[in-house]
Amino acid sequence: MTDSVIPQLIRKDLRLHRLQMAITIGAGILALVVMQRGGEVSLVLGSTWYFVAIIVLACMLPVSMVVNERKKQTLAFVMSLPVSSTQYTTAKLVSTLLMFLVPWLLLLVCALALTTTGNTIPQGAIPMVVIMALLPLIGFSVILAVAIVSESEGWAIAATVVCNSTYGIAWYLITKTPSLTVNWTRHVAIWDQTVLRLLFAEFGSVALMISLTFFLQSRKRDFI
Amino acid sequence: MNDLAIELTGICKRYRYFSLDKISLQLPQGEIMGLIGANGAGKSTTIRILMGLIHQDAGEARVLGHPMPAEQVAAKRDIGFASEDMRLYDSMTLGWHMSFIQSIYPNWDDSYAQVLLKRFGLRADQKIKSLSHGQRVKSTLLLVLARKPKLLVLDEPTTGLDPVARHEILRELAHVMQDDGRSILFSSHNTQDVEQISDRITFIDRGRIIDSMDKEMYLDRWRRLRLEVPPGLHLPALPGVIDVRQQGRLAVATANAFVPDLANAYETRGARVQCIENMTLEEIFVANVEHSREEVEA
Amino acid sequence: MDEPLTLSQSDKRPMYLQIMEQIKQRIAVGDWKEGQPIPSIRQLAADTAVSVITVKRAYLELEREGIIVTQPGRGSHVSTSPGLGIRLREQELQQHLENAMRVAAQLGIRPKEIERRLREAGDRVAERESV
Repeated sequence: MTDSVIPQLIRKDLRLHRLQMAITIGAGILALVVMQRGGEVSLVLGSTWYFVAIIVLACMLPVSMVVNERKKQTLAFVMSLPVSSTQYTTAKLVSTLLMFLVPWLLLLVCALALTTTGNTIPQGAIPMVVIMALLPLIGFSVILAVAIVSESEGWAIAATVVCNSTYGIAWYLITKTPSLTVNWTRHVAIWDQTVLRLLFAEFGSVALMISLTFFLQSRKRDFI
Repeated sequence: MNDLAIELTGICKRYRYFSLDKISLQLPQGEIMGLIGANGAGKSTTIRILMGLIHQDAGEARVLGHPMPAEQVAAKRDIGFASEDMRLYDSMTLGWHMSFIQSIYPNWDDSYAQVLLKRFGLRADQKIKSLSHGQRVKSTLLLVLARKPKLLVLDEPTTGLDPVARHEILRELAHVMQDDGRSILFSSHNTQDVEQISDRITFIDRGRIIDSMDKEMYLDRWRRLRLEVPPGLHLPALPGVIDVRQQGRLAVATANAFVPDLANAYETRGARVQCIENMTLEEIFVANVEHSREEVEA
Repeated sequence: MDEPLTLSQSDKRPMYLQIMEQIKQRIAVGDWKEGQPIPSIRQLAADTAVSVITVKRAYLELEREGIIVTQPGRGSHVSTSPGLGIRLREQELQQHLENAMRVAAQLGIRPKEIERRLREAGDRVAERESV
């Protein structure tokens, strides 16, 4: 794909939505600062805020980057360029994922840094933090897949609602699983079998959603 | 060297309420083809198929030698496509779009782009959302023209434009034809524009191609004969005539395969030919569509 | 040459005929001289926003009438036959006279009366020219 237009498409998407990225990063950092202040209230407030920022991003991005391309009729403009539908899907997935991953990673790293340097959260909670933070990433990949394949705002919103409802249940289940919470309060992070298996399943789900998107997109005969 | 810029053979596409039925057309390199049809006739679908945006159910599409949609990436490097329902990014400026296109196509001619900006009365620093409809259309066309593509595919490029803007666009399209290696396919409701600048005309109605041929030959075949008929005589539709309307002693015969003998043929039957009129493309369009629909229903 | 010809969309005659007539007029009044090169088919088509095929037809007909000459690879030029300009003006005059006779016939005016009117018209023109 030496001559492919994909890099320009990705750059274009990032340029168009840089404000959204900036706002999310800003909100997330603010949340972490609040968490730092110490005390249970700050902790709860900050961490809620933190997750809300990530989840909102997970919902907004697919809609603004994928669904709107069809709604605002700029898709014809993009498809008039030397690009196939597969290349378009690739560019969209990469740019939207990037736009989510950058703030997500940044905030995750900040959160992890907090646990290692600060005194509010013990290091033993690190695997849990990672596991929980991966949930919005999975949700995001589901919403993104639905947005790309269904081309419909309605379906994307439905996916958003489903995912948002499941986060709470997932978190509850995780916090109530003894094999996961047993090492919470330790001073060191322990990556045991259970944790690793769960992480593998989480990454696997994301990979599955992406492959499914490519597969379903390639079967479309009327792209626009 | 007469390569075909566009070659569609037996293209079929089925939708729930509409289908394209064995569409075949050819556009030789260096020519302009005007595609005319009523709303919903299938112009946009045909154009999307030849752009590789829609996959046909049957038939072959070759554009600039590339089979579509298989080689759409290679083909689209040399095609400039603009359709009436296409939009640019509202929050960005025209200048940003120009840089964007320039980063993709090596053929971008910036000095020509500047000339077009002036000619169309546009400014590069304007955001798309602040432009009027006519300015948006001209912006889209500027982006497509400044690349000097080998083939221009335009779906209703002048629809909704005021007469001045339409004239500006037509002049630019006519200038493209100075290069005999470049070709244009455009669909339009404006039969006057099509009549003026097309080398070839294709009529499409209800998913079928009714006619596709050389414009001058086509205009030559259509005539309207005004006849004075002696009382009591009922005029038949002679070969080459598709419609005869008679009211009392005056009749009008519409011919789609006119030969000078036709006038004589009517005179020998007792009618007096008052005059033989040329028909505008619009009149031909309406007569043709009505005739072909009658034929299909029969 | 920008916009050498002005074509009217309301003119009922086919466009190739309009083009032919305007070219003949230019030659007749001397704007385009005998032997002078004229725009190529594609050039004229681009400048007047008319299809190439229409200009091609006009040029073919003009060539058939001996008014222009097209050499493959060398473009087209006004025919060099002597007195072409004059010949075209005479054709124009002939056309005017025939039109006048046709109208006269419709009005029922007899040839002798036409002759008288023609002389009168000639006198009026001469009067205006001398002023």
